[in-house]
Amino acid sequence: MAATDPALPHPELVAAIPRLRRYARVLTGEATRADDLVQETLARAWEKRRLWAAGTDLRAWLFTIMHNVFVNQRALARRDAQNVSLDADDAGAAWQIPVRPAQQTRVELMEVLREVGRLPVDQRAVLVLAAVEEMRYEEIATVLSIPVGTVMSRLSRAREKLRRASQHSTEPPAALKIIK
Amino acid sequence: MSPLPLSDTDVHAYVDGQLAPARAAEVDDAVAHDPALAARVADFRHQNAALHEAFDAWLEEPVPPDLVAAAHAPADAGRWRRFAPHFAAAATLVLGVALGWFARETLLERDGTPTTFARQAALTHVLYASDANRPVEIWAAEEQRLVRWLSRRLGLSVHAPDLNTFGYALVGGRLVAGNQKPAALFVYENGDKQRLSLMVRKRPGESETAFRYAVEDGVGVYYWVDENCAYALSGQIDRAQMLAIGRLVYGQLAAADAASAQGK
Repeated sequence: MAATDPALPHPELVAAIPRLRRYARVLTGEATRADDLVQETLARAWEKRRLWAAGTDLRAWLFTIMHNVFVNQRALARRDAQNVSLDADDAGAAWQIPVRPAQQTRVELMEVLREVGRLPVDQRAVLVLAAVEEMRYEEIATVLSIPVGTVMSRLSRAREKLRRASQHSTEPPAALKIIK
Repeated sequence: MSPLPLSDTDVHAYVDGQLAPARAAEVDDAVAHDPALAARVADFRHQNAALHEAFDAWLEEPVPPDLVAAAHAPADAGRWRRFAPHFAAAATLVLGVALGWFARETLLERDGTPTTFARQAALTHVLYASDANRPVEIWAAEEQRLVRWLSRRLGLSVHAPDLNTFGYALVGGRLVAGNQKPAALFVYENGDKQRLSLMVRKRPGESETAFRYAVEDGVGVYYWVDENCAYALSGQIDRAQMLAIGRLVYGQLAAADAASAQGK
């Protein structure tokens, strides 16, 4: 019997799933749709496995695929008139964020997350890839198929918005209200 | 102090640790002399820390079996597509001629890997579930007798899951040949006369637990191995529905196991 196709390293692929899920949730703002996106990404990765250059960063390659799948799905959803908006305000409201109760900064974290949810999805993606995934800017440019300059301007806008928001956020934790 | 003016990019790269050491030292210096810049850098660092703290919690969530299954190579699809015509011919033989049965036995006993289990399930499905008149030995009308008999022959307690929520009703079941041990086969049918089968056999020693999906000659097989048994759900229905039904079966069997464990 032939062995499984050696093109994609299975353990690394499995190891990448939690990060893919997290990024998918950042993009879609919703857990179920995020897992569908991951599923589709993995299927696409196997289809395109011959395009992956062994030894290069598998995570970045998977994120690139996910970004493309997401962009295509979003285009379809837009054609579908009344689909759920993926941008700005309402996405953040739908987030289910597992903030551990022991965290003393819980309210502050909810606040940050709510503001992240309010960012346009393009800025949100760059911010999370840079700050949370700690990808190099050039890598982010590849994943999102945009110039590095655009990565920088989106990152800058995202950070300045969060900064302004945190300076104004002395009001009670509105993030705990259910907006939808 | 800084030989080059600080750009916005420098500030972000500094915060994200993406500056070359020499340039980072220059920014250090600028930060030390510029309180506004220092505040901005501190805020951005604080944001990074908060984002990590919040989003890292998501990494600890258990990964759903579907996604683990999706990380597996998709059932050697390429290989089977290449051999599909030969395989279809072989399957027809198996169906038509008694000799085919022995060929199948040889094929199946080659090894005990999960791939073989999927193939075995697909063949068994094609062989029995496609038989319009006699897919089973004991019909669903005698479900209790069926389950008792199969449990005794397999040496473990088996259950026929209820798939009515998906429109599939139990047709009945039969005993089929497994690798070394017998296996139980439950056959289901929906209003369009489409059939699904669930094969159950005692776990033959491997510790595989992941959910896997394979397509064997047009038959989709969703299979997994738990503590005691290996299960394979086979049918010619679309993958998404198969996975949904598989999840339901898994849930029901787990609940039944828990109930019988409590009863003991």
